Amino acid sequence: MYLTSEEERIYEGEEGWAYQTAMRILVKLGDLFEAKRLIPITSAHISGVSYKTVGDAPIEFLEALFNAGAESKVESTVNPAGFDLSYMKEFRLPQSFQEKQIRILKLYEGMRINPVLTCTPYYIKKPRPETHLAWAESSAVVYANSLLNAWTNREGGPSALAAALIGKTPDYGLHRPENRKANVVVKVEATPTNEAEFGALGAFLGKVLKDKTPIIEGLPSNEEALLKQMGAAMASTGMTTIFYTSFPRSQEYERLETLSVERRELDEMIDSLSTTDEEPQLVFIGCPHCSFNELKKIAQQIKNKKVKDGIKFWICTSRHIRRKARKYVNLIEAAGGKVICDTCAVVTWLREMGVETIMTNSAKTAYYAPNLSKVDVRFASLTDCIREARAD
Amino acid sequence: MDAVLKGRPIVHGRIKGKALVSTKPLSFLGGIDPETGIVIEKGHDLQGESVSNVVLCFPYGHGSTVGSYVLYSLAKKKKGPKAIINEFADPVVVVGAVIAEVPMVDQIDISQIHTGDTVEVDGETGTVKILEGQRRNVSYK
Repeated sequence: MYLTSEEERIYEGEEGWAYQTAMRILVKLGDLFEAKRLIPITSAHISGVSYKTVGDAPIEFLEALFNAGAESKVESTVNPAGFDLSYMKEFRLPQSFQEKQIRILKLYEGMRINPVLTCTPYYIKKPRPETHLAWAESSAVVYANSLLNAWTNREGGPSALAAALIGKTPDYGLHRPENRKANVVVKVEATPTNEAEFGALGAFLGKVLKDKTPIIEGLPSNEEALLKQMGAAMASTGMTTIFYTSFPRSQEYERLETLSVERRELDEMIDSLSTTDEEPQLVFIGCPHCSFNELKKIAQQIKNKKVKDGIKFWICTSRHIRRKARKYVNLIEAAGGKVICDTCAVVTWLREMGVETIMTNSAKTAYYAPNLSKVDVRFASLTDCIREARAD
Repeated sequence: MDAVLKGRPIVHGRIKGKALVSTKPLSFLGGIDPETGIVIEKGHDLQGESVSNVVLCFPYGHGSTVGSYVLYSLAKKKKGPKAIINEFADPVVVVGAVIAEVPMVDQIDISQIHTGDTVEVDGETGTVKILEGQRRNVSYK
């Protein structure tokens, strides 16, 4: 890989251990993927934040970087943590978990990485089309590439962190136009009708497509919330980093392999995302974190009703959206729901909170929660989730 | 005569040690106890073995990218492997080896190496030497 003299200097350690280490990570990954150079990025989004999912492993490395004076060179944000600081009572967690989590957050913050604690950084600042990013968090990666045409590979926590500290990423994969082309056409015969079904379609496609780039035809709607669910699920069950919902018809298009998704296949996936039909202790909306419009929709469906006694109704979002949608947050909380920030049902300690069964409209959560959180899942649409949470 | 395998250099450093060989992919997060370096993944062919101070040979890494930090953490406690040999390097293990400063080579046919062999890993040239006389009693395939 070609390095500029400035990059070479950092690689040789003239800017200290932290930047040298970050540069070595980028150069080794660049070599591995046959990148020819590093390119500047406009932002980095870093995963590996929740103490529940990462444990003690990153703390020593983050401490070493922080102590060596490392600072992010570009706008950088981080994924959700293990709990919402403003709702500590709701979480009832051991002191040591809280301390470790706060330590991790302080280390990121100390490196000038913005503790937004959300998987939807694009709602805080939308990246501009055709800019290069280094984002971890697979749902945000597929969203940026597919809905915003901002260009990022599916980074891991450490590589996104290294990119933040250098302000660059190796030029390979989705940073190169030739690698962003579709190579399969999916004909959706199944007609998904709500966000949960779009998510289930995504879960199905992730499994069959692996890392292929699809053009998805026949979707009844291109609504943002629906595509967000579909993309998040695709990236969970597979390695999808980009999809298209339209494409100019061309010779090239005609030559692509095609694949169709029938109603039966979608129904089977929907069934497989539930592990129980029992009453949940937690109804969870907000994976990925809710947008302004989603909060508005939930508020309209729950207002003037009450959440059942003994059931938790969580709507997870970022602090940014919570502030913006204050009016709807008040309606939801007046009904007995909780608009939780900084975390979600996948990265918090559900079992420790006494939750054994959750209900959710997120295919991504339904796919991960049984293994990652050891809970049973009932997978259903937002409307059904709200109906279950309401006492009427 | 020593058997020499030629691969691709990933992380520099030259080291001699006893090989610990797996035929299965390895996940550092969840697969290895970050305190002891013992493989804890159920059903893994190295379950119960320690990766500390051995030349760790496995086909490739998988699982969470946080796994890179596990390698760093092990190295700081002096519980990490002496070197890593893979068939195919993947980003999680590469980044882990970079930050933990563990010599690493890939594109090696690890079926040629057996647990207990004394091997010399050269992360500059990408070569792995299986030392004659230090080999366990396993015939060449």
